[in-house]
Amino acid sequence: MLHDTLNLVAGLDFSILPQQLVNGLLLGSVYALIALGYTMVYGVLRLINFAHGEVFMLGSYAALFTSWSLGFSPEALAGQDKPSSWINLVLMLVVSMVVCGLIGMAIEFLAYRPMRNQPRIASLITAIGVSLFIQYAGGLFLPQSPPPAISEQVNPYRNEKVTVTLAPPPQDLVVQAKDARAKADQMDKAYEAAKAKGDPTSLESMRQETQAAKNAASNLETQVASKSTGLTVPYGQLGMLLTTLVLMALLWFIVQKTKTGRAMRAVAHDFDSAALMGVNVGRIITITFVIGSALAGAGAMMYATVLRTPLTPFLGVTPGVKAFVAAVLGGIGNIPGAVLGGILMGIVETLVVWLDGVVPGLSGYKDAVAFVVLIAVLLFRPGGLLGSSKVEKV
Amino acid sequence: MSEKPVVLSLDKATIQFGGLIAVNSVTFDLYKGDLFGLIGPNGAGKTTCFNLITGVYKPTSGSIKFNGKEVGGLAPAKIAEMGICRTFQNIRLFPALSVLENVVVGAYLRHKTSVYGAYTYLPPAINETESLKKDAMDLLEVMDLADMAGSRSADLPYGKQRRLEIARAMATKPDLILLDEPAAGMNPQEKEDLQATVRRIRDEFGKTVLLIEHDMRFVMGLCERIVVLDHGEEIAQGSPEAIRSDPKVIEAYLGEAV
Amino acid sequence: MKFWGVRGVSILAGLGFAFGLETMVSAGLPNIYRLVVLAGLFITLAVSLNLINGITGQFSIGHAAFYMVGAYSAGFVSNQFYAQQSLGPQLWLVVMMVFGAFMAGISGFVVGLPSLRLRGDYLAIVTLGFGEILRIVVQNIAPLGGAYGMNVKPFGSPPKAIWIVWTLAMVCIAVCRNLLRTAHGLPFLAVREDEVASSAMGVNVPKTKVTSFVIGSAFAGAAGALFALYDTFISPDTFKMDVSFIILTMVVLGGTGSITGSVLAAVALFAIPEWLRTLQDPVTKVAIQIPGPSLVATMLAVIVAVALVKLIQDRFYGDKGKKLGLYVGAVGAGVAVQFLLAALLKGVPQLAKLSFEAAALRMVIFSATLIILMLLRPQGILAHHEFSWAWVSKLFGRRPSEANA
Ligand SMILES: Nc1ncnc2c1ncn2[C@@H]1O[C@H](COP(=O)(O)OP(=O)(O)OP(=O)(O)O)[C@@H](O)[C@H]1O
Ligand SMILES: [Mg+2]
Repeated sequence: MLHDTLNLVAGLDFSILPQQLVNGLLLGSVYALIALGYTMVYGVLRLINFAHGEVFMLGSYAALFTSWSLGFSPEALAGQDKPSSWINLVLMLVVSMVVCGLIGMAIEFLAYRPMRNQPRIASLITAIGVSLFIQYAGGLFLPQSPPPAISEQVNPYRNEKVTVTLAPPPQDLVVQAKDARAKADQMDKAYEAAKAKGDPTSLESMRQETQAAKNAASNLETQVASKSTGLTVPYGQLGMLLTTLVLMALLWFIVQKTKTGRAMRAVAHDFDSAALMGVNVGRIITITFVIGSALAGAGAMMYATVLRTPLTPFLGVTPGVKAFVAAVLGGIGNIPGAVLGGILMGIVETLVVWLDGVVPGLSGYKDAVAFVVLIAVLLFRPGGLLGSSKVEKV
Repeated sequence: MSEKPVVLSLDKATIQFGGLIAVNSVTFDLYKGDLFGLIGPNGAGKTTCFNLITGVYKPTSGSIKFNGKEVGGLAPAKIAEMGICRTFQNIRLFPALSVLENVVVGAYLRHKTSVYGAYTYLPPAINETESLKKDAMDLLEVMDLADMAGSRSADLPYGKQRRLEIARAMATKPDLILLDEPAAGMNPQEKEDLQATVRRIRDEFGKTVLLIEHDMRFVMGLCERIVVLDHGEEIAQGSPEAIRSDPKVIEAYLGEAV
Repeated sequence: MKFWGVRGVSILAGLGFAFGLETMVSAGLPNIYRLVVLAGLFITLAVSLNLINGITGQFSIGHAAFYMVGAYSAGFVSNQFYAQQSLGPQLWLVVMMVFGAFMAGISGFVVGLPSLRLRGDYLAIVTLGFGEILRIVVQNIAPLGGAYGMNVKPFGSPPKAIWIVWTLAMVCIAVCRNLLRTAHGLPFLAVREDEVASSAMGVNVPKTKVTSFVIGSAFAGAAGALFALYDTFISPDTFKMDVSFIILTMVVLGGTGSITGSVLAAVALFAIPEWLRTLQDPVTKVAIQIPGPSLVATMLAVIVAVALVKLIQDRFYGDKGKKLGLYVGAVGAGVAVQFLLAALLKGVPQLAKLSFEAAALRMVIFSATLIILMLLRPQGILAHHEFSWAWVSKLFGRRPSEANA
């Protein structure tokens, strides 16, 4: 009842809201993984690593090639079913993370390290250059037309899912549907019996009536399904959320509990003092790049495997920009901020699509909303949600 | 003393940063032509006082009047225009600009031609630029920096950077000039020269001077009146002799030796 | 009187140059007409962004948005109203240029406001965000052609545009240059150097920042209006983030704050990709093909050579002649590596069967050039220097006084 009223008032379908929120969370967790890389690098170097989106793109290709070499390329499959195992997924994840980690390290060593003592804007331009270079050089060598996608069959759990019912459908409707189904079944039985007996006179009309009853039943059942609020989460997405959580916990552990993490925080706090206190700043920066890029690699593997996005060399641009916005939103340089910002960004984006129900055409503005939210937040909290805007002492 | 007009008057000026009351109900008056010292231990709130007077921070309560008009909470640029200018404790020159240009930025405040003349490079703007440059050069002469007019200000030695900051502040043609630890980092000779210069600023140019300094010889030898702050509170006020022998000041700041 | 004489002559010379270029190119080199127009537009864009970024120090990286505002306002208004008046194409161009500048100036004012509260990277991302928001809004407005773009064909055929585009570029350069030559330019520089100190010296910091945004964006909008009317088709894709980045790159590569540098970098960065686009075999007139092995070998060789040059630049303190010798050696080593690797890589079958058209390498070469230039000369081609005749004479080893004598 409540549903009907709300739907009428707002023109919105609240029954799909929980599902939309979960989808937002999933997308947001990918953004968060990428945003972590931006924020960590910014933390230690005060550099916006524009090439980070491209690292993400390369990570998704790494996952693709791994799946191919595991026998899931279109040629090898040739339209046939092939059993897979979770080991394949783990392998793809690991390869993707390692490849991205190495690429991050290479970019840092070749392009950013020589710029260490130069004006920040020069490093920024270098970052833009690296980003463009990877996109277009990738365009020369990477398969792209038609955009390849990782085969569904790599995922052994592609048909399994968890269904949660949050609010049951109206009781009378359920009873009605049940009755209708029972009646249809009964008629079906009678029809089969008549057919077996070979009574030709009424067979055709009986068949038609049975069919009508069946249709009515399934109609009611669909109604029941749509009136119930709940969500369905495929195992793949569940795994994605879990992996993200595990990786974030691991990152938290590294940053907060290890010696390297402490050095990282020291460098982020004050680069020069950390160097003077004997922190090997070069090594810490390398490690930061490796970790940040590996996280992007994990995000990329899941983005390509679970969300099954078709791959192009320009794939990293949009998620990259959004993740960067997420990092700034959360307060750039702030690790929990990046996670918060990423998830917020994902949820806002799916909500905008959902709100399309009231404001037709709103979903066309999906990509702009990220920036609107960002600008609104920055005007009130110039340092982002969790970041502190440093007041300059005069 | 009382026939001289009051230039600056702080009345219970207070500012709080979170739980910290950096300046607590500070009250003092400056008369025209005063050479006034503001002293106190590190973190006493001296620089914060300057920041209140020049509009960097807005006082939480209390009033700050300049020539009879309330300035507390006005924009810094507005206050500079009214005639208060300052130097900074940690030097804040315009590093990439030349010494001369730094001073012209100060002088620009009193410019008269409109900016459209500049876009089109018409004679009024050109002539004004020339005259601003000339005034700036004169000030550099006074501060003994004329020979370095063309160098980048960041390339000057420390003591000269401090003098350049004073020149830049003077260029705004202020009535009241605030100097935040002008002698910090200078050698004895430079300090002596600076003392003479500050005196000249008052005597020859007729400015009222308020200065913060940790070097007691410098302050005592220069200022005619002194206010002492400690933990944001005013603990003494008076002539150098009175301050020197004030037991509260000795305990909080000067120590027994002086 | 002498002043007005000189001023008159220089204005005439400028106009003469613009119209001379127009006549020369349309008569002699019609196939580069579009390039000359675009080069002029990019000079305007780079110099105007330099005012915001390099001179006033406001880190704005969404300049393409203002270009777009100018283009769409002029495009829309021309489509609606050109037929109803009788100004003729050339005058209409002038009117639309002013109109585009006006509209972009307004948007520059709006985008400039956050600069009052935000600094550095935060301001950068907000300017970028404004650009993206505007672009997406245009994408969703049907009368502006939405995502497909809009035809702007009030005149039937593309108008003569070189003269006005280059006049605009010269005006833009002149305005920035004039500003810096008078005391009025100093507050802009002071804001870049230190905001707190500027305001203590009486500089109206908010006004200065917003002014630089308004002027900078107005010039970009003027360029956009001319682009729309000349190119006759605009779409949101023409004004993507990449364009903003390229303009920003021109500013930094030229040397942040240097107007001359912006101009040079604009021309160079614009010319490199365009030149590569047209690269073909002089005899057969087919596009040059580059075999896969040589391409990969060249890429690696360039990395080696650049790394060596950088190492010599940073670590070698000796006399200039020796250093020059080492540089030559480094380049030689690069060439050797190229030959060696190319021969080796021919043995890799997957690579050997690939080959690439030179035009397809356009952006790769472009971005590589960018990285290399930044690595080897991070302060920009001209650093903070400006063009002046005295400087030219010094460059050729003569003191100005001798040169004048
Ligand atoms: N913007 C601010 N936010 C928070 N606390 C501040 C701020 N500015 C100053 N303070 C605090 O106010 C107190 C007074 O500082 P202030 O700089 O005025 O001291 P001072 O007397 O000038 O000391 P010094 O002799 O070392 O220059 C200090 O504890 C300082 O940390
Ligand atoms: Mg102080």
